Amino acid sequence: MKNTTVSAPAFLKKKRNSKTVFNYHIMVLIGMIWLFFFNIVPMFGIVMAFEDYNPMQGLWHSEFIGLENFRYLFSMSDSKRVIINTLVIAVSKLILNVVVPLAFALMLNEIRQLKFKKAVQTIVYLPHFLSWVILASVLLEMFGYRGVFNSLLGFFGIEGKIWFSEESCFRQLIIGSDVWKEFGFNAVIYLAALTGISPELYEAAAIDGCSRWKSVWHITLPGISSTIVVLSILGLGNVLNAGFDQIFNFYSPLVYSTGDILDTWVYRMGLLNVQFSLATAAGLFKSVISFTLIVISYIIAYKAADYKIF
Amino acid sequence: MKKKKMISVLLTVSMAASLFAGCGAANTDSAADSKSESTGIQTASENSTVTAGDQAFQKFPEVVEVHIGQAVSATDKLPDGLSVDNNQYTDYLLENFNIKVVADWTAASGNDYTQKVALCIASNTLPDAMTVSREYMLKAAKAGQLYDITDLFQQVQSDQVKEVMDSTGGEAIREASVDGRQYAIPAVEVETGGVQVINVRQDWLDEYGLEAPKTLDDVENIAKVFAEKKPAGEDTVPIAGPDKNTKCYTNFLETGTTTCGFDAVFSANNAYPGLFLKDDSGNVTYGTDSDATRATLERLADWYAKGYIDPEMGTRDSSTELINSGKVGMFFGAWWMVGYGIGDAYRNEPDANWQSYPILTDDGKWNVKLGSSTTGYCVINKNVSEDVAKAIIIMANVLLRDESKFDVSEQPLNFWPVRTLMAPADECEYTYNELIKVLDGETAPEDHAGISTAYKLLSSDVSLVKDTVPGYEKGKQLSISDFSTENFGNFQRMYSLLVGDRPYSTQQVDQKVRSCIFSQTATMEKKWANLWSMENEMVMKIITGKSDISAYDEFIKNWKAEGGDQIIQEVAEES
Repeated sequence: MKNTTVSAPAFLKKKRNSKTVFNYHIMVLIGMIWLFFFNIVPMFGIVMAFEDYNPMQGLWHSEFIGLENFRYLFSMSDSKRVIINTLVIAVSKLILNVVVPLAFALMLNEIRQLKFKKAVQTIVYLPHFLSWVILASVLLEMFGYRGVFNSLLGFFGIEGKIWFSEESCFRQLIIGSDVWKEFGFNAVIYLAALTGISPELYEAAAIDGCSRWKSVWHITLPGISSTIVVLSILGLGNVLNAGFDQIFNFYSPLVYSTGDILDTWVYRMGLLNVQFSLATAAGLFKSVISFTLIVISYIIAYKAADYKIF
Repeated sequence: MKKKKMISVLLTVSMAASLFAGCGAANTDSAADSKSESTGIQTASENSTVTAGDQAFQKFPEVVEVHIGQAVSATDKLPDGLSVDNNQYTDYLLENFNIKVVADWTAASGNDYTQKVALCIASNTLPDAMTVSREYMLKAAKAGQLYDITDLFQQVQSDQVKEVMDSTGGEAIREASVDGRQYAIPAVEVETGGVQVINVRQDWLDEYGLEAPKTLDDVENIAKVFAEKKPAGEDTVPIAGPDKNTKCYTNFLETGTTTCGFDAVFSANNAYPGLFLKDDSGNVTYGTDSDATRATLERLADWYAKGYIDPEMGTRDSSTELINSGKVGMFFGAWWMVGYGIGDAYRNEPDANWQSYPILTDDGKWNVKLGSSTTGYCVINKNVSEDVAKAIIIMANVLLRDESKFDVSEQPLNFWPVRTLMAPADECEYTYNELIKVLDGETAPEDHAGISTAYKLLSSDVSLVKDTVPGYEKGKQLSISDFSTENFGNFQRMYSLLVGDRPYSTQQVDQKVRSCIFSQTATMEKKWANLWSMENEMVMKIITGKSDISAYDEFIKNWKAEGGDQIIQEVAEES
C-alpha cells in the first residue's frame, strides 16, 4: 500500500503514454483490492463505537447510544495512563528509529574495508526477520531473574531484578529492544540513499580542505534529507501504533502502569472481555488522533522541507 | 519488448483472477454447509415418530453433521493420522449414533480459544456447538444467538445426566439459564473442584524432620527451612506462585480453583476476596474490601520479600513447569493437581512425594471457598435444526455413560468433541470412600460391576485400584512409593483421588463460603472487566513489593468510585 501511493504520482507527472499507464494501473489494482477489502470495508465497523453493539442485531440495528462509550472510556482511571504510555512509547520509537539507523548508516558509510562493512550490515540486519514471539522469550530469559544480564550485574555486586516486570524499566526496554531489532533494516534504506550521492562532491570538498565532519554536514545530510523526511512521515502514520505484537509478548499485570498501550488495552477489553463497542470507541479514538497527526506532519513537511508525498 | 509487456499484463491479470478464485472457493464451501443443514432438517421430520424415552441414546436414521469449534491443549497430542474430528471418539459417535462431527476450527486452549469464541460472537458466526465460559454464554444468550434448549434438554437428557443436574439442587440448570430459559448444557463440577489445598514435598519435610503444615504459621516455618537449606539447589522455590496466565485468587465469575494462587491462604485468614458475601442481616459486601484481605496481602508480601514465594511470580510462563522441574517445595491447587496436574514431576523424579493438606485458621477451623456448581457451558447455535441440537445433547449423554469405556492414554479425553464435564457434586469423596473400602477388603470390585449410576468411573476405578496402589496398608498415609506408575493414566487418577482429595474426603469442613451471586448485574457488564483488572494489578504489585499496602486502600477507594458501590447495591437487590 505504501509503495503504490508513493510511486504513483511520480509517473503521472511525466505523462507517459496511456498504454503504459494502463499496465501500471492493473498492477496497482491488486493493491487497491486488498486496500478495499481490508481497510475500507471494515471502516463501517466504526458505527459500533456509537452503539450498544449486539451481534444478533448486527451493525445497523444495534441500539444507538451516541457518545456514551466515549464518556465511559475517558472516565476510567486506566484510559489516561494508556494514552500516555502509547504516546511516550510510540514517539520515542519514532524518533529513535530515525536517529539510530541514520547515525549507524553514516558511520558504516565511512568504513572503507568492504568485507567488514558487508559483514556488519548483514549481522545487524538479522533480528529484523525474527518474530517478537521468539525474541520475547529469548529476551525475557536474558533479562529474567536468573538470566545472563543479572549474572553480569552480580559480577559487579549489583543485585539482580526481573527487568521486564519493573515498572521503571519496562518502557526503556521495549523501546530499546525495538530499536535494536529494526535499526539494521532501517539503515539499509539510508545506505542506499548514500550511494546515490556523487563521489565527485566529496572529492571536490576534500580538495577545498573540508574535514570529514564538515563533508558529512554539508554533503551527506543534505543529500539524503528527502529520504529522511519521507521515512519520518511514513513513520508518523504509525505514531499511535506503539507495537502490539511486541508489548503483548513482554507485558504482565505488573507493568500495566507503564507498559499498557491502547492496542493491548483494546485487545483485553474487546476480545477477552467482550466489550466490543467500548473497544471500538478506543480504536476509533486512536485512529482520529493518528489521522490528525499525519495531516499536521504532512503540512509541516510541505512548508518546512517543501516535500509532498501525496 | 512488447511481448514482455504482454506477459506482465497477463501475469497481473491472472494474479487478480486467482484472488477472486479464492473468494469463489469460500462461497462454494458455505453453500455446502447450508446444504448439509437442510438435510438435517429433512431427517428431523422423519424422526418425529421416535418416542421420548429412548431419545437419550437414539441412533439417527441418517447421518447428522455437527459443526464444532474445539479447544485443543498444547500438550495433548493425537497419534499420527488422527485429528480433532477423526479419532476414537468421533468414530464412536458416527458408528453408534450417526453423529458426524466436523471441526470448523480449533484453537489452543486459553487465550487463543477465548479470542476465537469472542470473535465468533461478535461476528455472529457461531459453530453449531462450542464450550464457552460463563461471561460469553451470557453475552451470546442475551444477544439472542443461542438455541433455547429448555424443553429439548428435558426431553433428551439421559437419567444419568438428570441425576447429575439434580445433585446440584437445580443450581446447574439455573446457572445455564437467562430469564428462565435454558441456553446451554452446563458442565457440572465436583464440589471439591473449588477447594484449594496445599501440596507439599513430603520427602523434603521428612529430610528436615518437619511436621506436615496445619496453619499459615506452619507453612511459613517450612518455607523458611526450604529457603535456607535449598533442597533442590540454588534456585529452590519454597512456594510456587501464579504464572502470567493465572490469578492470585478466583472471583465469583471464574470460580475454578487457581493453580498456584493463594485462595487457601486467604481462607485461612477468614478472607474471601473476589466474592460477594451476604451476611445474616442481608448486607452485601465485597470480599476484597475487608481487613482480613488487607492483612493477608501484607503477609504474602512479607513472604515474598523473605524469598519464600517464587521471585518470578506473575511473569513466569508456567508455574506447572517449574513444579515439574522439581524446584518447588509447596504450592496451592485443587485436588487434581498432585495427580493429573503435574504428571511430568513424577516422570522426572519418581520419588517426589507430593502430599496434600488443608490449611486451617489459627484456631483450627477449615474454611473453604466454594465455586459455583457449573464451570463451563456447551452452547448451541440458534440456527441449527432440532436434530443437530438433539445430537449435541446426546453427545453429552454418551460421554457420561461411556467415558470409562475408552482408553485415554493415547487419545486424551480432551479430544471428546465439545466436552462438558459432568460429575455429581460429591463424586470424588464418594469414590474416595469406595476405593478405601475396596483396599481395606470390605467390598470387592465385583460388587460395583454393571451398576449404572452417575458415578460414571466408579466401577472402573474400583477394578484397577488394587493394581495401582500395591503398597496400601490400612492406617498408613499413602505415599508415592505405594503407587505403581505402570499405567500412567490410572496412576494419575488414583493419586489425585487418594492423595489430592484426601483432605476434602476425610476432614471436617467448618465453613463453606459461597459468593451470593455468580452472574453479572447490569453495571458489571460494563465495568467489571476494568475493576477486576485493576484488582489483579493491585494484588500482584503488593505481593511482589512493587507497591506498599497503601495501594490497597487507594484501590478500595477507586473501586467504589468507579462502579463498585453501584454494583454492590445491584447485587443486594438481585441476590
